[in-house]
Order: sequence, then structure tokens, then C-alpha cells
Amino acid sequence: MSPADSESDKRPEGQEPQEVLEIEKLRRLITGPERIQIDQLRERLENPELRTKDISQILPEAILLRTSQDEKIAKALAPTVEKAIESSIHRNRKVLVDVLFPVMGPAIRKAVTSTLHGMIQSFDKTLEYSLSLQGLKWRFEALRTKKPFGEIVLLHTLLYQVEQVFLIHRKSSLVIQHVMSKDVKIQDPDLVASMLSAIRDFVQDSFKLEKDESLDTLQMGSDRTIWVEQGAHALLAAVIRGTPPSDLRIALRETLDTIHLRHGEALEVFDGDTALWEAVRPDLEDCLQSRYKPKQKKTFPLFWVLFGTGLVLLGIWCFFSIQTHGRWMHYLERLKGEPGIQITSGEKRSGRYHIYGLRDPLASEPVDLLKKDKLKPDKFVFNLESYTSTHPQVVLKRIDAILKSPSTVHLELKDNVLNISGSASHSWITNMREAIPTIPWISKYDDRNLIDMDLNNFDNLREKIEKRFLLFEFRSAEMAKGQELEFQAFMEDLKNFINLAKGLEKIVQVDIIGHADSQGTERANLLISQERADKILSIIVKEGLDAKSFRTSGLGSRELFREEKTNQDREFNRRVTFRVIG
Amino acid sequence: MLGVYNVGKTSLVRSFVYSIFEDKYLSTVGVKIDKKPIEIDGQPIEFLLWDIAGEDDHFSVPPTYLRGASGYLLVIDGTRRATFDKALDLQQRTEAAVGPLPFIAVLNKLDLTDQWQLGPKDLAELDQRNWTFIKTSAKLGTGVEEAFTKLGQKILLS
Repeated sequence: MSPADSESDKRPEGQEPQEVLEIEKLRRLITGPERIQIDQLRERLENPELRTKDISQILPEAILLRTSQDEKIAKALAPTVEKAIESSIHRNRKVLVDVLFPVMGPAIRKAVTSTLHGMIQSFDKTLEYSLSLQGLKWRFEALRTKKPFGEIVLLHTLLYQVEQVFLIHRKSSLVIQHVMSKDVKIQDPDLVASMLSAIRDFVQDSFKLEKDESLDTLQMGSDRTIWVEQGAHALLAAVIRGTPPSDLRIALRETLDTIHLRHGEALEVFDGDTALWEAVRPDLEDCLQSRYKPKQKKTFPLFWVLFGTGLVLLGIWCFFSIQTHGRWMHYLERLKGEPGIQITSGEKRSGRYHIYGLRDPLASEPVDLLKKDKLKPDKFVFNLESYTSTHPQVVLKRIDAILKSPSTVHLELKDNVLNISGSASHSWITNMREAIPTIPWISKYDDRNLIDMDLNNFDNLREKIEKRFLLFEFRSAEMAKGQELEFQAFMEDLKNFINLAKGLEKIVQVDIIGHADSQGTERANLLISQERADKILSIIVKEGLDAKSFRTSGLGSRELFREEKTNQDREFNRRVTFRVIG
Repeated sequence: MLGVYNVGKTSLVRSFVYSIFEDKYLSTVGVKIDKKPIEIDGQPIEFLLWDIAGEDDHFSVPPTYLRGASGYLLVIDGTRRATFDKALDLQQRTEAAVGPLPFIAVLNKLDLTDQWQLGPKDLAELDQRNWTFIKTSAKLGTGVEEAFTKLGQKILLS
């Protein structure tokens, strides 16, 4: 409304009614058509129904225009749309469920199927590798890296390369675009795509599949797969070598969706002209993913060296563990068989061996036995209570301890009869014979095979002394030159003999018998021979021996030892000899 | 390539292109696809030939195999009169499935003149139906190139 119009409604004060009417008439004549338009405009502006109608005519275009410029419309509408959905759900959720079900149902089903398939696939792989040599290697890797075994299996088996990607027009089966990895030998993409479509159709028809079901995986041999994703107007087929991860299918799906979003209309009217479709190449090339077996790290040899060393150490540890265990068992058996030791239990605890049982103090020392099995005493704890064993060997040891047997004596106990053999001193034998009746476990003893060493020596010395002789100077009671050593040896024997005799409580007498050669008269010879015997006696007495044990006599030349042909024979006959009595 | 069993569709394709797929696809999947680039009136075009297994009592052409086709050769065995009638029926079904498409009727096995069964009456019927038809011999190669070229021209004109 213009200011003029608003002013025209006011009547100026002081004007006559006639004039007013004329002016009004004139004004209507001048502004008549515009006034009608103004009234109509006012009506449109003030009438809500008309305004709604007006806005409804331009609203879609306005929204489209603004949407193409920025995102403000979307932002502005978002809360309202959210509220509307919320309100619809509150009011009657069935409406939204019915609308969404045809879309969500297949999508959810497909997602679940795909996930299950992935799980089964990984489970299969895990099983497949769990018992193989490769599997053992991976198990070790799982231990080393502390990752689950399944993850290690997948890590090694998820090696793949997308070799080719086809974007295929659904209706005509023609290839819209095709990309491939380097060094991949291929057949004509058009033919492959057509054949692929034919096969999919064949499967679809043969198995009467639902619309949302289709052949989405083709497995060729053990390592080649074709994954097909189906869109409204186009298919995306990826030829994959190896075992692809399930993520790849999602990537394919997203690529196909993106292409549909951007080029949906163009796809619908595709007429075989591929020149216009270069734009989708980058999208398809993004699908040419690959994951190669990671290169072995440079530290690999070091790992194997460490692994090898570890294995060797483990082997050595096992060897020694087994050996030690073997020795321990052997030792335990030996202890059980040991006279005077009773083992009740033995166990390894906290790295030490604990042995429980009984032990006679005279039994072998368990620690000494360890050495025989090359076991370290510090690893052993003995809990052995003392007891008195009746084992014959221990009893014998006990007898041995009582008798204080010298090492030359051998004792043997059989049916309570003690056999004593070997040799011992006269005094030990005497004591032994006195002690035996006081020792239990012995009913009889036999020492016939026991030699009395003192008595033996006594007899030997007696024989030795009687074989000895001392030579004298011609017509003299002086010992011949060079007889000193012989005399000393004689004196030694004699002293020993006298002492032995005392020990044996034997009363002995030694006759010292003087001799002369045949020269000279018999009387003279008798005298000189007596002198010679007396002379020796005097020396013996001087050496400290009792004269009562000796008796001298002179036989002259009555008992010649040699026939006197030479002077040497005569020297031999000038002698003193000995005889032991008692 | 449409037609009943043993009318010579595969022989026609074989004499027209060098095939990368084996014929066994026909008996397994029911279709074998070949590619042939040709030039029609100076314009290069590329045929993707879907050699569809011949119809018999147990097999009828799956409509999905016809989907997206630009045109077809309807092959008739000139030595078997029955294939002529069946071709008429097949053409009707094809048209019902995918709509009117350019096609050429191919009367094959022309080399077996002594066994030829299609008379002037039959050809008149084809004329009456306004069908384009070409007599061929896949064995001798007669008319094969021409049949494909004519189909190409028809497709380009459509």
C-alpha cells in the first residue's frame, strides 16, 4: 500500500462534502485499475489460504534451489524431520515399519549372511591350519606375539589381490567400465562380463531365486573368486586372487552405491557408449586393492638364531631335567634298597627333593650315596628318623663296631653264626673271644680262618733267629770283621722275639752255642767255643736283655758246618749259633 | 542367435567369429557369448553374440537371456519345415518378452539343396509378415556375413 493510498482514506478537515465527493470520483477514475490490483494483492497477503497456496507452488523449486546452493535447508529441516519420525513412531510405529521393512529386511539379512559367512570362513581357515606344520609355526607366532591363534591365521591367509573390476550394465550385460591390475592377463572384458551375466541369470532362473537374492560369489579353484555386488542398474564384479577380507565387499558395495548416486540416471539409459564413463574409472581403481604377504623382517635370521638357541637350551634343559629326574628316581630306589634305611616318601617341592623315612645310624650316609648318582647335596632335604635296624648287614656293622675289628679282619654273619677270617693281633683275638658272648645276634662263632699275627711273627722270628750265626776271629772270642751288621740284625730280631714272647705270655729260652774250627786241641776248642758264646751273651745283656732268658754252651769242633778244606771253611766253622726253647 | 535345436546357430557364429569359449557352455549354461567387431557403412560396431542353446522339448529360451538385446538372428533350418513354424512362434514370444527388436530370419543349410523343404509359399509368408530373410550356408559361408551386416544395419536404423 502506498502512502498516497493511506492518505486518501483520510478526509481533509474543513473541505465541503461536494468537493470531497468529486475528488473521490476523480481519484477513482485515475487510480481505478491499480486500486483493484492493490485490493487483490492485499487480499493475497492477508488471506492465509491464498498465501499457503502461493507458497506451495514455489516451495519445491525453492527447496531444490537452496539445496543446490548450501546445506541450510537440510539443517533447518533436520529437527522437524526427526520430530516427525519420532511422532510417527509414537503414534503408530507400524506405518514406519511397513515402509522400511522392504528396504531394511533384505539389507539386514544380507549383512547377517555376510557376517556369518565371514565367521565360517575364518573358522574354516583356523581349523584347516590348526594341525599342519604351518599351523604349528603360526601357533608359535601367536604365543610370541600374544595374539589369538585365529587372528594369526587370518593375518597370513588374508592375502589377496583384486585383479579386475567390472562395472556391468544390468539390462544389457554390457561392460560400462573395466579396470585391472598390472600384469594381469585377461580375456575380452565384454565377453567375460556378458558370460558372467549369463551365468548369474542362469543361476537365478535355475534356482528360482528371489529378486534380492543373486549369485554374489563365484569360486574358481582354491584362490580365485569373483565377488558380484548388484545395484539397481549396474553390477560391480571384482575378480580376486587369494582370500579377500569381508571389508572388501563393503568397499565394493559402497563404490557401487556411489556410482548409482552420482550417475543413476545415466546408468538407466546406458546405450553401450562407454566413452562417457571414464569418470568412474578412479572409483573402480580404488577397488583394485591388494594385500601382500609382508616381507620377512631383516631381523628374521636373528629371530631364528634366538629361536634355535632357545630350542637348544630347551633341549638341554629337557635333557638335564630328564637325566636329573632319572637320577633322582634311581637314587630313591637305591636308598630304598640300602640296608638300615627305610624310605616312606620322596617328593620334589620348590626345586628341592624332600626325603622322609628311618635310618639306622650305622647305615650308609645318604649324602654319600648322592655322589654315586652325581646329584648335588644342596638340593636334598633328608627327614630321616633314627631306628635300630635288624638287617644282617647293619647288624654286622654293629658287631664290627663293638669288636673294633682291624681292617685285616673279615666278618660274616650267617644264621647268627659269626665267621671271622683274615688276620689280627693276638690281643685283639683274645679280646674278641671275650667280647663275643656278650653280643646279641651271635649264637656261635668260627675263627678257624683267623690268623693270629703275633703268633705267626713269633714262629717266623724263632725260625729266623735259629738260622742266624755269627763268625769269629781265629783263636779269639772277638767277632770277625764285618759281622757288626749281622749282629745288629740279630739283635733286632731277638728283641722283637723276646717282646712277642712276653705279649704271648710264653716263657722262652735262647741257647747261645759256641763253635770252633778243628785246628787246635779239643780242649782248647771247647774253651774258645764257650768263650765265644759267653762273649755274645755279655753283649746281649749289655743291650738290655735279661740274662735269665739265655743259656750258653761251647761245643768245640764237634759240630762242624763245613768240611775244612780251605781257610774259608774254617772261618765258617768259627761261629756262634742259636736255638730257641719254649 | 535364436532358433530351435540343431538349426545351425552355433555353426553360423563359428563361421563368423573366432570363439574364445568352448561350445560346452551351450549345454551347461545354455548360452555362449562371442564378440565380433564389424564395419557397417563406414561405422565400426561391435557385436556381442549371445548364441543361445536351441530350444527343444526340454529347454526354452530363458527371458533373462534376451534382456538387453539390441537385435537377433532367428535361425531356421531350411531342410526341416517344422523349424520354420517354431521360429514363427519363437519370434512372437521374443517380442512379447522384450518388445519389438530388429531381427533377420536366417534360412540356413542352403548347401543341402536336395533336402530343402521351404517352398515359395513359405517365403511369401515371410514377406507377408514383412520379415527380412537371408538364405545362408554356415558350411560354405554363404550369406553369413551378409546376415550379420544386415542385422547391424537394422539395429543402427532402429
